[in-house]
Amino acid sequence: MLLTLSAVLMLLAAFACLGSKLFNRYVAYYGFQSVTLSFATGVVAAHFGSGELWALAALTLALKGVAIPLATRRLLLQRLELRRDVALSTGLSTTLIIGALLTAFAFLVIQPRDLPAGAVTSSAVPLSTAMVLLGGLVMVVRRHTVAQLIGWLITENGVFLGAITLVSTFPFIVEAGVFLDLVAAVLIMVVFVSGITRRLAEATATELRELRG
Amino acid sequence: MTVLVALVVLLPLLGGLAISTGTRARGPGAAAIAGGTGSFASALVLAARVLAAGHFEALDGFLYVDPLGAFFTVVVSLVVLLASFSSAAYLRSEEASGELTGLQVRLYFVFFSLFASGMLAVFLTGNLGLLWVLVEGSTLASVVLVGLEAEARSLEAAWKYVIISSFGVTIALVATLFLFYAGSHLHSTSGQRLTWIYLFAHARSLAPTSVKLAFLLAVVGYGTKVGLVPMHSWLPDAHSEAPSPVSAMLSAGLLTTGMYAIIRFRSIAVLTLGSSYEETVLLFFGFLTAFIGVMFLVVGGNYKRLFAYSSIEHMGIVAIALGFGGMLGVYGALLQLLTHAIGKSVLFLSSGHVVLGYRTREASEVRGLLSALPLGGGAVLLASLAVAGSPPFGVFLSELTIVRAGFARDDPALPGLLLLLLVIGFASLLATTLAMVTGSQPTQGIRPPYPTRSSRFLAAVPLLGGLGALALLGLWIPGGLNELIVRSVRVAS
Repeated sequence: MLLTLSAVLMLLAAFACLGSKLFNRYVAYYGFQSVTLSFATGVVAAHFGSGELWALAALTLALKGVAIPLATRRLLLQRLELRRDVALSTGLSTTLIIGALLTAFAFLVIQPRDLPAGAVTSSAVPLSTAMVLLGGLVMVVRRHTVAQLIGWLITENGVFLGAITLVSTFPFIVEAGVFLDLVAAVLIMVVFVSGITRRLAEATATELRELRG
Repeated sequence: MTVLVALVVLLPLLGGLAISTGTRARGPGAAAIAGGTGSFASALVLAARVLAAGHFEALDGFLYVDPLGAFFTVVVSLVVLLASFSSAAYLRSEEASGELTGLQVRLYFVFFSLFASGMLAVFLTGNLGLLWVLVEGSTLASVVLVGLEAEARSLEAAWKYVIISSFGVTIALVATLFLFYAGSHLHSTSGQRLTWIYLFAHARSLAPTSVKLAFLLAVVGYGTKVGLVPMHSWLPDAHSEAPSPVSAMLSAGLLTTGMYAIIRFRSIAVLTLGSSYEETVLLFFGFLTAFIGVMFLVVGGNYKRLFAYSSIEHMGIVAIALGFGGMLGVYGALLQLLTHAIGKSVLFLSSGHVVLGYRTREASEVRGLLSALPLGGGAVLLASLAVAGSPPFGVFLSELTIVRAGFARDDPALPGLLLLLLVIGFASLLATTLAMVTGSQPTQGIRPPYPTRSSRFLAAVPLLGGLGALALLGLWIPGGLNELIVRSVRVAS
């Protein structure tokens, strides 16, 4: 029950991200989603009494809930002074309708009763599938690199939610490795985003100088 | 055996460690060559030992070598060796001309060595979760190399590469989860359930629906890495913007690594579901990929992009070969991966000569290559002949095997279509490269690609060695290699 509730909250956060236009909101919603994911992991850990899952919940909270949002905010939003994201390829309402359709699609193709009884709460599986699709949608409709990064992270959260509900006994070493890759990926992406943004800023600045007079 | 595995994986790191000795490219370059040579030699010994002993397993399946893994280790460590010779020369030239700063040179060697050892480790683990981690890790290392020059174009290419392939690899993680889930009704310790040994042994009792999903998601996810259409869009950009030795590693190493993961998933899917499902999926993606690859070969333009589209075409051909299946099809696929890896390494490495000499990537601006840069031009000509599938070279033999595997089935339409694509691909690749090597060279603007005699020597070694190996493979496949491929085919099907 608690697990389904957190899955629904995570999906809502994904939708909020999809519908928002402010950069710091993206990061806030992602942070909220990750904290909820860590809570859900804790619920599953309590259910199985598994120490590895508790460790996973703590890792999720520390890295995805705190470190990544903080790093994104400090290194990207504040340093590059990003506020409003205007680079949308479709209108906001169209995007939300597509998002709703994708969620419906996820529920249509993944019927909880088709899943064997082994899963803890099988109703979280279509929710996590919807989250994977919504993350992809964010990456498609937003043109700004920071928004694409957040979209990928939402997808990653969706996959993790599916992982803890479907296969809670996934080997811990592998999960830790996945986290390591995630952190490395975010670091590299942050470097590239700031590099690209700075290049673009320089390009516009030179244009302005050339056009004057 | 454990020591050998450790040597194969850890020796390429020498080049990265050597940056602490000094800031110049000379020391790390030499160390990278030494590491690459040692790694290749260890891979050969490892393959011989595996042929004698069957397979080898340690550390709960985290460490696992069978003939298939050993074959891929040999292929990729050869690519790493060729690329490290060329890296040493390329970086010295870039350093001398002031194109790259000392920091960039050091970053190059650190991430080059991480990239190389990450890829080699992929083939030596039996745990498919760890396989995922290593594939993603080596991709991330290569992203840094693509964006190394930090120009607007290379940053854009690197961004496209990291975001598309990270998303793709996330799909591959879902595939891994589903394969794990497929065995969740079987009783066993969880650590074992993600190993090839366990999955092969219990493939017939896995849940078929989950395996179906897992295979499809793996083809899409790892297919992003391989460059299967429509997940290929990062590939031409990344290959054309990366420094040439890195392009060679991407095309001949990383694509091969992705294909290895697909081959592993395929062999489980064949056991669980029978062959008709994987056949449909692989033939669909294979023909789509080969078709799009060939069509962009016809368009022309930037020659490094052209070579990248040729890689896409070849990966499509490998997928088709796997789809044809059978002893002959899988043998052809593995041989094609080997010959393509060598041929494409030489082609991208020789394109490095052209980039350094002409300072352009547009094919229409490069003329008279044979008279301006005899070695680079000759290598471009011979390697593109080889890659296009001209007779004295190994690619001809592997493509012939694949077409024969196609005609061995009852439907002649598909291999017929493949032959047509091969012919169009041959003509259009050769049309561009022939125009590049012939004609009169521009009167000014060409500078010698490698300033010193020793870097000229280092740059020549991989071109001559690779072309020699390709010509040899076209005429005669050594007994040990043949045995290794045959045993790999038995593992893979």
